[in-house]
Amino acid sequence: MVDTARLSRYVSPVNPAVFPHLTLVLLGIGVFFTAWFFVYEVTSTKKTRSLKKELLVALVASIFSGFGVLFLLLSVGIYV
Amino acid sequence: MLKLNLFLLFLVGVNAGEQINSYLIYKNVDRSIDLTSQLVKITSTITLENAGKDPIKNFLVVDEPKSDGKVVYRGVKDSAKQDLNLLPVQVDGSDNKFHKVVLRQNLEPGRTATVVLEEIIAKGLAPYPSSISQKEKQLVRYFGNHYIYTPYTVAKQKTDVVLSSRSVENYTKLKPVTQSDNTITYGPYTDIKPYTEDQLVVHFENNAPFLTVTRLERVIEISHWGNVAIEEQIEIKHTGAKLKGPFSRYDYQRDTSSSHHSIKSYTTVLPATAHSIYYRDSNGNISTSSVKHRKDWIELELRPRFPLFGGWQSSYTLGYSVPSYQYLYRTPEGQNVLSMRFIDHVFDDMFVEEATTSIVLPVGVSDVQLIVPYQVEKLQDDITYKYLDNMGRKVLRMRKNDLVEQHIQDLEITYSWQPQLLLHEPLLISLALFILFVAVIIWVRLDFSLGVPEHSKKE
Repeated sequence: MVDTARLSRYVSPVNPAVFPHLTLVLLGIGVFFTAWFFVYEVTSTKKTRSLKKELLVALVASIFSGFGVLFLLLSVGIYV
Repeated sequence: MLKLNLFLLFLVGVNAGEQINSYLIYKNVDRSIDLTSQLVKITSTITLENAGKDPIKNFLVVDEPKSDGKVVYRGVKDSAKQDLNLLPVQVDGSDNKFHKVVLRQNLEPGRTATVVLEEIIAKGLAPYPSSISQKEKQLVRYFGNHYIYTPYTVAKQKTDVVLSSRSVENYTKLKPVTQSDNTITYGPYTDIKPYTEDQLVVHFENNAPFLTVTRLERVIEISHWGNVAIEEQIEIKHTGAKLKGPFSRYDYQRDTSSSHHSIKSYTTVLPATAHSIYYRDSNGNISTSSVKHRKDWIELELRPRFPLFGGWQSSYTLGYSVPSYQYLYRTPEGQNVLSMRFIDHVFDDMFVEEATTSIVLPVGVSDVQLIVPYQVEKLQDDITYKYLDNMGRKVLRMRKNDLVEQHIQDLEITYSWQPQLLLHEPLLISLALFILFVAVIIWVRLDFSLGVPEHSKKE
């Protein structure tokens, strides 16, 4: 048996108390960029469209939304 | 020749087994047989005396060959309340099952030492009559031995039989015997020969819940985001006297006496930090449960969907979450250690016939080591898929039969795991979303129209 009294406790990298706040902030930014992306897609024409800008907005939107959805899952109790 | 002799000596040494030391005597034995619950708990305080000339290192405890029930737990403590190890051994010329107890200090000639032997026997109380109607009281019979069953001579012995009620139908009267309130005292008896047997029978009223967990499946899931989820699937059965005749809900509601052989509710104790508790069965949530927060634990009063009478059974799922900082540790070498109970409390004086415990490890673990507090049957490892999981998680599974409260002990799992793997799940979601965006980017560039676009005509 390992003497657990001499080991350090494992602490999760993010305090579970801040999960709801992180969800709000990250998902907020994520939804903003997602909206920007779709608005850009439907308003731009063939000539004004820039692939670089589209990909950049999509990347930012997906990263923020991805982390936002994860913390949403964690804060509602789905521990992945 | 010398070699052969040595070889023979070696053979004898291997096969000889243990010898019974006739110089060891039990100077005084104080037995207490607790029959207040569904389990038989025998606590014997034994004073050992060395009447020989050589120091004694160990003594033997023997299983009673003809006894009802099954010894599910046996523990020996010395006078300092320290646990002593029990090892199964063979004794020459005897078919009995022996266990060797090694003393911490040698017992010098002429000296005495006190040890406490605790035995828990399941299914040692037989309901008699074996089926009763709803209004009748439950009577049970206990078959035991007036004397402690031992390979040693006992100089003096006294036995207290503690019952759950005053109403005793009858009991064997091996003099001297006295009954006062709910205790029957046998003895003191003096100079008892080794292996003496004399049947002790007590027939008395016992309305304690005779509830057996026939199957318990416990799943422990670790999340390094800071949570350990526990889910238990439990099948219970009332193993007392069977219900004879019909069940009347009217009579049942009118009967307000607390001592009744049916089981209305029972209490499960959870860790103090447990949260997100759920209690359901195949039909859905069972609303008849209540949670009480105590200082050091959580009391969960569970009420099955229907009262349980003899022979009736029920099954349910109980789940809860605990924060990981209480159970997960890190070694200085960077390994993770999970220290968690193999089984947990279901109800007081519980008896579990079969328990299976599975531990779902996080994604991407390696070097898994398992330390168990007692012998368990290791089952084949499994792979399971949880939320946001494309690689599968390793599941350790183990099984043990016949457990009681004394088996609520920690098991330990040590494993290596990279903290970067925490990013696996969010990146998986991000990647999925990014693929969606790329699909949209491609989709807006596609043009399936057959006609020439209007704006190009103008040009």
